[in-house]
Amino acid sequence: MPEYTITVNGQQRKFSAEPDMPLLWALRDLLDLPGTKYGCGVGGCGACTVLLDGKEARSCLTTVAEVGKAKVTTIEGVSPDGSHPVQKAWVEHDVPQCGYCQPGKIMTVVALLAGNKNPTDKDIDDALGPHVCRCGTYERMRQAIKAAARGAK
Amino acid sequence: MSTTQISRRTFLGLVSVGGASFALGCYPCFSSSDGKDGVALEPNAFVRLDPDGTVTITVTKSEMGQGIKTGLAMIVAEHMDCDWSRVRVLQADGDRNKYGHQGTGGSSSTRSMHQQLAQMGAAARFMLMSAAAQEWGVDLKGCSTDNGHVYHEASGKSKPYGDLATIAAGLNVPSGDVPLKDKSEYRIIGKPTRRVDTPDIVTGKAVFAQDVKVPGATVGVVSRAPAFGASLRSFDDSAARRVPGVVDVVQISSGVAVLGENTWAAIKGRDALKVDWDLGPNASLDTAEIRRRLLDSVGEHPEMPAGSKVIEATYDYPYLAHYTMEPMNCVADVRSDSCTIWVPSQSPDQVQQYAAGVAGVPQSAVTVHCTLLGGGFGRRSQMDFVQDAVEASRKAKRPVKLLYTRDDDMRHDFYRPMSHHAMRGALDANGKPVGFNHQFISVRGNSSRAAGARGVHILYDIPGATMMMGSGASPIYVGAWRSVSNSQVNPSIEMFIDEMAHAAGKDPLQFRRENISDKRMLKILDLIEEKSGWGKPLPAGVSRGIALYDGYDARTAHVVEVSVEGSKIKVHRAVICIDTGTTINPMAVEMQLQGSCIDGISTALFAEVTIKNGGVVQHDPFDYEWIRMDQAPKTEVHIIESGDAPCGMGETGYPSAPAAVANAVFAATGKRVRKFPIRLDELV
Repeated sequence: MPEYTITVNGQQRKFSAEPDMPLLWALRDLLDLPGTKYGCGVGGCGACTVLLDGKEARSCLTTVAEVGKAKVTTIEGVSPDGSHPVQKAWVEHDVPQCGYCQPGKIMTVVALLAGNKNPTDKDIDDALGPHVCRCGTYERMRQAIKAAARGAK
Repeated sequence: MSTTQISRRTFLGLVSVGGASFALGCYPCFSSSDGKDGVALEPNAFVRLDPDGTVTITVTKSEMGQGIKTGLAMIVAEHMDCDWSRVRVLQADGDRNKYGHQGTGGSSSTRSMHQQLAQMGAAARFMLMSAAAQEWGVDLKGCSTDNGHVYHEASGKSKPYGDLATIAAGLNVPSGDVPLKDKSEYRIIGKPTRRVDTPDIVTGKAVFAQDVKVPGATVGVVSRAPAFGASLRSFDDSAARRVPGVVDVVQISSGVAVLGENTWAAIKGRDALKVDWDLGPNASLDTAEIRRRLLDSVGEHPEMPAGSKVIEATYDYPYLAHYTMEPMNCVADVRSDSCTIWVPSQSPDQVQQYAAGVAGVPQSAVTVHCTLLGGGFGRRSQMDFVQDAVEASRKAKRPVKLLYTRDDDMRHDFYRPMSHHAMRGALDANGKPVGFNHQFISVRGNSSRAAGARGVHILYDIPGATMMMGSGASPIYVGAWRSVSNSQVNPSIEMFIDEMAHAAGKDPLQFRRENISDKRMLKILDLIEEKSGWGKPLPAGVSRGIALYDGYDARTAHVVEVSVEGSKIKVHRAVICIDTGTTINPMAVEMQLQGSCIDGISTALFAEVTIKNGGVVQHDPFDYEWIRMDQAPKTEVHIIESGDAPCGMGETGYPSAPAAVANAVFAATGKRVRKFPIRLDELV
């Protein structure tokens, strides 16, 4: 079985895996980072979203072999203590209901705000359009994103 | 704290809530000496006060996003009068002997537990006041509490709760009801309160069942029957066993479980299995055939009053999946003499009972840790995933983290039943409804023609309103889905009332007002008329529809605004008004109503499970659509409290929502919805 060394949340992590193993399962099962969630396995819900070099990626569709030198950021690496403006806004607006898919949403929003300090409703729709939240937290997410954008300025 | 902030509440002015007896409140005092500074006060199974002032409240209902851990803890904390910032909330294990019934469904948690939990908190408060009175040598009647302190106003003495824990722990637990705080003195109940799990959720620390670490655990994925009623003939696991990381393959009741060192190995192993299924008696069954059976079971409507204007309509509903974001799963570690389970279950106490049978151990040897539920909606009241995990662990003699892939979850659900509704109503010459019959034909094991019209209570004052039940045979598994049959019965009534209003030449809201006498609902109608701007002009191309629901003790109304653009229906705004009785957490109420409105729109416009070759067709988020960010409307939730007991909030926001959408589509197009999900080319 091939060995891989990838950078996750600023740390070099070494593991053995089949090359076609999705990054999702490497994070969860091999690297003890269970914050990233399995929702559908086909890139249809966004629950597994992580950042690769700051850009959002579905970890269920990204194989370990494809990660290469890209720096991986997971929900556990967004901040050491929940202090990222997006996390704070998520708490302030009490966005989550069941919470299962929220790490994926937060990763997408972290990437969105990193490149766009003042997202419009259309920008928010475009960024989160590919995600599903079965609890229907969309409106609170929109409010939290705008608050986070204000806070991050 | 200044004396002006001291509550002047004393026991003299309070009355006891009468009659009810709460077994757990009568347990003997149980205290543990686990700190240097004293012992904890633990008057019952729900409350613990440590000498450092930390209050631990145990919640026995399952948290699936409805905020119940927060809401139930708020009730205990209010009546204990403790400092909310010092409260920790624990999720109880599944244990019926200790906690009683733990089933979380029917929007019943708050309704069934609020009095009991108030007593649990109040018992602790009573004991803390008694402890203070004893220590200060004063009369209990002169003592009061506020925000985690006991005060004796006459002497000016006060103490934080933690300092009184040790003394209180030595006192007898009150054997009956103790006085509760008066509603006018609430400072926790009714205040917008953030959910206790949110900080862990946003940092990825929240623990769902598949996140638990169990030494030596394998991940199990099951090859399942492709059709309902299919049975396993044989399987060849030689290729599966060659997949790197596959540890074992075991046959279980639901199919063949492949156990892997990690999830990917298990999935690949499952894909490599060769399984021969006997498809059984339903191999050619499809949705059209089930619909035919439903239609065949429509009976004869009763005659309407002579000379009245008769109106008829039918409405069809598809099967729906629950589609929780977290697919079904369960972790089980079965040993020869014990069984430990980590499970997102709506019935953790039932899991304990059920797993004992499957594991072959006594119920007392089964430990059930209930994790957070990544969505429930009724799906997690079932035991199928428990059965799979326990069976696989027992057979393989190792811990198993059993996971349904999304495909498994979609195709092996207990679906909301498909149903057909045949309505007949009548209006007199003044447009007053004088007849109503509702035939509700749902799927069951056997077909049976609707007959035996019997009187039914509906929200509207229609003399002689009746309902008839029938069924069409179907082998597809069905189960509870948010608001159960109300999710189909109520939209049918609300769409039909809209049709009657139109036939009477009346405004849909005014027609409802004229034919409702329920005072709480009439207030809600006034409120939604005002908040929605009913009757006021809308932007060009936008139309509105209204629907009501009277259930789970609450009164709810939706007004939604839609536009039709090409082949698409877009919902722009939803105004939701609710009478909650008494609101525990307004934030949670708002979230539940926003969420159920999203469900209402998603199921009005998109979601549908269809059957082909005896199995479910849909298998992922691309073919089972739920609305997403760009389709979600602005919502406004307006809450009034009629002062009654708290009403159910988890389901009450659904049954009017799809009907409001359908009625708005009529306002936009002049055509009626006969079938969900709504397709513009199927309107009549």
